[in-house]
Amino acid sequence: MSRRVFITGYGIITAIGNNGPENFASLRNKRSGYGRLDFLQTLHRDEIYCCEIKLSDDELCRHARVPTRAGFSRTTLLGIIAAREAIDSAGLTKAETSGAGLISATTAGGIRELESYYYELQNPESSGDFLAFLDTGDPGEHTERMADILNMKKYLATVSTACASAANSIIFGARLIANGLADVMICGGSEALSKVTINGFNSLKILDRNLCKPFDQNRNGLNLGEGAAFLVLEAEERLGYPGKNAIAELCGYASLNDAFHQTASSPDGSGALKAMQKALTMGGIAPEDVDYINAHGTGTENNDLSEGLSVKALFGDQLPPFSSTKPYTGHTTSAAGSVEAAFCLMGFEHDTIFPTLNFSQPMEELDILPVTELRQGAGLGYILSNSLGFGGSTTSLLFAKC
Amino acid sequence: MLINGNGMDIYINGAGVISPQQTYDNEIFLPEVTEYGGNVLTCILPDFKNYIKPFQMRRLSRMLRMGLSAATICLRNARLETPDAIITATGYGFQEDMGKFLLEILEQDEQQLTPTYFMQSTHNALSGLIALTVKCMGYNNTYAGRGFAFETAVHDAMLLFLEKEAENVLVGSFDQAHRVQYSDYARLGYVKKEKTSNLKLFKSRTKGTLQGEGTAFFMISCQALPHSWCILKSLHTVYRPTDFPFLCEELTGFLRANGIGPEDVDVFVNGASGDIARDKWNMELRKTFFGHAAEVLFKHLTGEYATASSFGVWLGAKILKIRTIPESVLAGPATSDRLIRTVLVCNHFLGRNYSFFLLKAL
Repeated sequence: MSRRVFITGYGIITAIGNNGPENFASLRNKRSGYGRLDFLQTLHRDEIYCCEIKLSDDELCRHARVPTRAGFSRTTLLGIIAAREAIDSAGLTKAETSGAGLISATTAGGIRELESYYYELQNPESSGDFLAFLDTGDPGEHTERMADILNMKKYLATVSTACASAANSIIFGARLIANGLADVMICGGSEALSKVTINGFNSLKILDRNLCKPFDQNRNGLNLGEGAAFLVLEAEERLGYPGKNAIAELCGYASLNDAFHQTASSPDGSGALKAMQKALTMGGIAPEDVDYINAHGTGTENNDLSEGLSVKALFGDQLPPFSSTKPYTGHTTSAAGSVEAAFCLMGFEHDTIFPTLNFSQPMEELDILPVTELRQGAGLGYILSNSLGFGGSTTSLLFAKC
Repeated sequence: MLINGNGMDIYINGAGVISPQQTYDNEIFLPEVTEYGGNVLTCILPDFKNYIKPFQMRRLSRMLRMGLSAATICLRNARLETPDAIITATGYGFQEDMGKFLLEILEQDEQQLTPTYFMQSTHNALSGLIALTVKCMGYNNTYAGRGFAFETAVHDAMLLFLEKEAENVLVGSFDQAHRVQYSDYARLGYVKKEKTSNLKLFKSRTKGTLQGEGTAFFMISCQALPHSWCILKSLHTVYRPTDFPFLCEELTGFLRANGIGPEDVDVFVNGASGDIARDKWNMELRKTFFGHAAEVLFKHLTGEYATASSFGVWLGAKILKIRTIPESVLAGPATSDRLIRTVLVCNHFLGRNYSFFLLKAL
């Protein structure tokens, strides 16, 4: 049994907006969320800029309509906000929502709160509001908390495959629907900035101290960001429901392992190539049918060359327009797959390609140029979106406009 | 969500388990039980040199060594070099490395940090490492959803068979006992206040459980082989059941969807954790439906951890494979001469995540 899977709604919160329309406005106006950190306390504050959501945890609690000081990690709050917008935009009723499955992806989970109260939490004599953050440092906690608040207890799962996490979350949800095990799934990922994430990427020396420059010869690493995005996936049978409009079909996907290195992609991009080919085969389309690629495009030396080689190998001289939206939101790591899926859906809704920012000089190894100006009326029918992660995780999603 | 109810048969064709008991040797089956007095059970380790190449060993953390060894034991037991897909599951991931990295951040003012700790603490580090080691470029995923992580991994493998994407999927769990988690658990009353021997866990009748750890890998396949262990029929999860009748309905509905009733279950593997409060419904299920079946307990061997259900599945599979129940896991004296054909593993984690696995003899 293989049913078609459609996307009927999405929700998103990133440094460039607290919801879908705000994110779209920022993309259209080439507004980046890059800047100094105001809320995360780190000693690197003056040297490492990130794409931070400019709301305090208490403000996020209000947006999420949950009590403050009740142990909601920032990752959980972002997840609730984005998932609720997704549910509303798909027009799901309360009963439909509680009958749907929830899959969320994260790596950091509540690590931000753990690092903030590390010593206090381990002192058996301590007391204070922070005690609500006992046992919230793992990835699964945020999914359970979201399920409790959104009343979605029927089926929940948590994915954690580093920077490919949210894409894998979408793929798993789609497969449950395709195989007839679920009719409605809410899938995505959420990731708050933390000292662990910033220092982790910093210790690997892959953070650009300035604006990241995906696919540029002088690229010098990535900018980190935070955010959450969720999609509502529904089985084809549900499209006949009154008021139900699909934005796109998820018509192809692939998830595999590059099996090259613990934290780097294979230099020739063979993993990403295989994933994209598989997604296209599943969607039953040829490379020349792809109208736009939302690249992983982090801005690191390794990623952009490897990914660039993979698209070049697949498309040759017929390379479709491609760009990386990471200069807007930063690399939202475990949420990136769903954040960028939401951008692809906005692309369909407005028939627009969002340009890569900060690009000036092509990579000397490859004659490929990302889109650098907003393209409206782009005639988007099919979009590919790639997400690659540590541990060799390699994913590609193929969307078809409805 | 019911996956594979009355569907195709799926087989466990091999296993590799490292736990607080001597389990890494597939030739023996719990000949003796190791006692732990300090409320924390940690793994009995094999000689890693037998499973990991020296050049690789040097760089790996204890958890990665354990996981890679268990995966290797499983592959050898299944007589397979490279699976088609790899799926791992963990509740709390690489806490030791993450803890070390976090402490460096706090103690060294975010300077001069060790990137290896960070690299080895992403939750998919093990599935990536295994892929790299056995050159598996196929499907690869990692689930980190507490008491459902292993269940989701098995669900995913079953989907891969339905989709004809794979014939042999390596599915494994890993979790480690770590002091940060232990102190959280102690504060929340998840672990026992008073020192309790694991051998007296189910006689303690107090609140809280014992902290455990372990890693268990399985070769799950859509092909039966002469060395297959058992059939992995189906599984089901229930999150925060509203009340006991609801949980009963979920369980009986699950059995019905698989064409059987409670009376067909020969062995009830009870994932009770020795916590008098949180075990209540598991004990009630046993009393209500499975009085006729042999009852098997296992968390006195392993302690409690988020992916402990994987040990329950290993135990059930091994019981079906050799048709014997070791004395050390029987809850009471063996009552009947019932044949061992059908095993139900019924786990709970913190009284929140309930799961049922149905296993059958070949």
